[in-house]
Amino acid sequence: MSYCLGIDIGSAYSKGVLMDDRELRASYYCLSGGDFRLTADKIKKELLSQADITSKDISRTVATGYGSKMVAFADKEITDISCHSKAISTLFPSVKTIVDFGDLYSKVFLIDGKGNLLNFLLSGKCAGGSARVLKVMAKVLQVNIENLGDLSFKAKKDIEFNTGCAVFAESEVISRVAEGFAKEDLLAAIHKALSAQCYSLAERLGIERDFALTGGGARNKGLIKAMGDLAGMDVHVPDAPHMTAALGAAILADEALKRLEVRGQNFFVDK
Amino acid sequence: MAEEQKKKKKRRTATKAASSIGPMVKDFIVGTNRIRAEGKQKLAFTFIVCHHEEILRAMDVVPIWTENFAGICGAKRDAERFLERAESLGFSRSLCTYALCGIGFDHWREELGEMPPDAPWGGMARPDFMISTGQILCDPRAKWYQASQQYMPDVPIYNMDMPYPLYDRTADHREVLGYYHKYVVKELRGLIDFLEKQTGKKMDYDKLEERVELSDKTWNLIHETYELRSASPCPMGTGDAMNTMVPMCFMMATQETYDFFTGLNKELKEKIAKKEGVIENEKYRLLWGGGLPSWFALTDFNYFNSKGAVFPAETTYRMVTPLDEMDLPETSDPVEHLAWRWLGYWTFWYDKARKRPGSEPDVERLINYIETYDIDGVVMHEAFSCRTWHVGLIWQLHQLAKIYKPIPVLYLGKDGKQETGHRELPSLILESDIIDISSYSEVDTRNRIDAFIETLESVAKDKASVS
Repeated sequence: MSYCLGIDIGSAYSKGVLMDDRELRASYYCLSGGDFRLTADKIKKELLSQADITSKDISRTVATGYGSKMVAFADKEITDISCHSKAISTLFPSVKTIVDFGDLYSKVFLIDGKGNLLNFLLSGKCAGGSARVLKVMAKVLQVNIENLGDLSFKAKKDIEFNTGCAVFAESEVISRVAEGFAKEDLLAAIHKALSAQCYSLAERLGIERDFALTGGGARNKGLIKAMGDLAGMDVHVPDAPHMTAALGAAILADEALKRLEVRGQNFFVDK
Repeated sequence: MAEEQKKKKKRRTATKAASSIGPMVKDFIVGTNRIRAEGKQKLAFTFIVCHHEEILRAMDVVPIWTENFAGICGAKRDAERFLERAESLGFSRSLCTYALCGIGFDHWREELGEMPPDAPWGGMARPDFMISTGQILCDPRAKWYQASQQYMPDVPIYNMDMPYPLYDRTADHREVLGYYHKYVVKELRGLIDFLEKQTGKKMDYDKLEERVELSDKTWNLIHETYELRSASPCPMGTGDAMNTMVPMCFMMATQETYDFFTGLNKELKEKIAKKEGVIENEKYRLLWGGGLPSWFALTDFNYFNSKGAVFPAETTYRMVTPLDEMDLPETSDPVEHLAWRWLGYWTFWYDKARKRPGSEPDVERLINYIETYDIDGVVMHEAFSCRTWHVGLIWQLHQLAKIYKPIPVLYLGKDGKQETGHRELPSLILESDIIDISSYSEVDTRNRIDAFIETLESVAKDKASVS
């Protein structure tokens, strides 16, 4: 048994993936909360419990995400961009362009056929370009965030919308609601505006086929469709896009472990 | 501001010359306050890179570089209270934060009739007059002192306009250079008239000529010294250059500056001979390709260093170009020479840019530095409050990608055979401000740097697999 743990401490949600020789054994996610150290411990405990193993069974841990430096038990920190790249290239080897809809930022990165990172861009500091704007809108329109995508498909009117700033976008939605626009139409407009913002980021980097979406925002069908329409091509989306960085971290942990074993240094790995 | 945020780690310098800058700046600020108290010399608020230092020094006028003082407040993490004061006067935080800091400070000093409490290094002295020097795009340079004058109505302003011909790929700028030269000469002579009235002294043109000659000599020395940084390992990085910019931008036309760069030149040559670099294991050579630094976060350069990255070159504050390559018209009039040098500096990259399809002067400069300094990646900083220097950075990277993307790179294919692919130069844009610390997140900035380093690692791995 060579268990590897990937743990992604994001700004809003934290996720963990436990693998045994590339086989998924357990996964878990929860709100990040106000203490990233405690959250990391909680995720580890849950994964150990699911797999019915102890801490000593874990051969290597890679931490990623905004709070990765807070994961005291990690052997290595690797950025979420590299972790996403690794997971996506493993799941979809033909992908060259990735858009990650995160809660804090949206990110676009180019990878080569081997999952190596070539270049990347982040959305601006404003939440207007991140998946956070969807949460804000769900709250304003009093809609379950899980249903945003499906509702947007029922739109009947085309509305022009601006998500340059999440705060202004919130005010704009409230004004439009007061003007009598249907929430379905507003949601479609928000998806379109958000995807346009991220797409322009991708265009700055140069889009190369194939194209994949990842991150928590990629759970939203409306956003996937809007991005696909803009790109004019099918987009690949993992089954659990919010878990991709944690999955990549676990794969990178596994790769490092195997490299260490090949070099005969596995004795130094704390088992 | 929270005390913790105010506490600042000291940046490690690679050169002895850079470590001597802090006391030099402090002496300068303390010196202006002493001059104010003595009242023997005139003090002028003014801006850097306007080719008028020689005139000021020949007239024995002591410049107070107001942007420099704002930078000091930023570096000491003590700008917030001055920014807040400017905001309370009705100035938006999205304006130039150098200007806001200066306006807030001036207002406070004038209101108290003495320096604000615990003013950084004794504070910015009250000027006898102010010399605005707009540089085409930088509107705060024209408006800042007008705003400050509300609180110092007795302090006169001379507003000097220093244009230069804009780049046009289809036209030779020399066709209109003569008109610009006449205009700039007139503006500089206007400054001399203004100073003569303010000081009650006549300009000594022999003294001016001496100052101009000293400056020219220093320009060539700085160029030669900075070129030494192309050595591998790199003996001095951009972190240090953000210190050595002080004599270059604030103390030109002085023997002290010439001596400083003579010392730096010697120090770099010694380091090169001993193969002594900024870091022991130099992995990546980066270009600081644009943007003023976050003065409160210069330790980020040390963070890059800790990841094996050095910055052998930067476009920011490299305010000299080699005079012998500028082909300046001969003149015995030092004022005319200053105007030619001004135009020569701003049009320096025009001819080179015209020769390269897709290039532009700003991009051409980047390309030349990338090639000269053997650069692996480009880092820029977008400071939200400075439009002048930061507008166009993304466009420059876009153009750069067009130039570098077609360069074929060989990859090792699946079957072990080499395949041709294309690679662009990795780039990183940091986002924050020059002195407004509320715009900065260390965790966020360093996460970005980490991702950039991983990109460089990946590129290096591919290059290694080819060789």
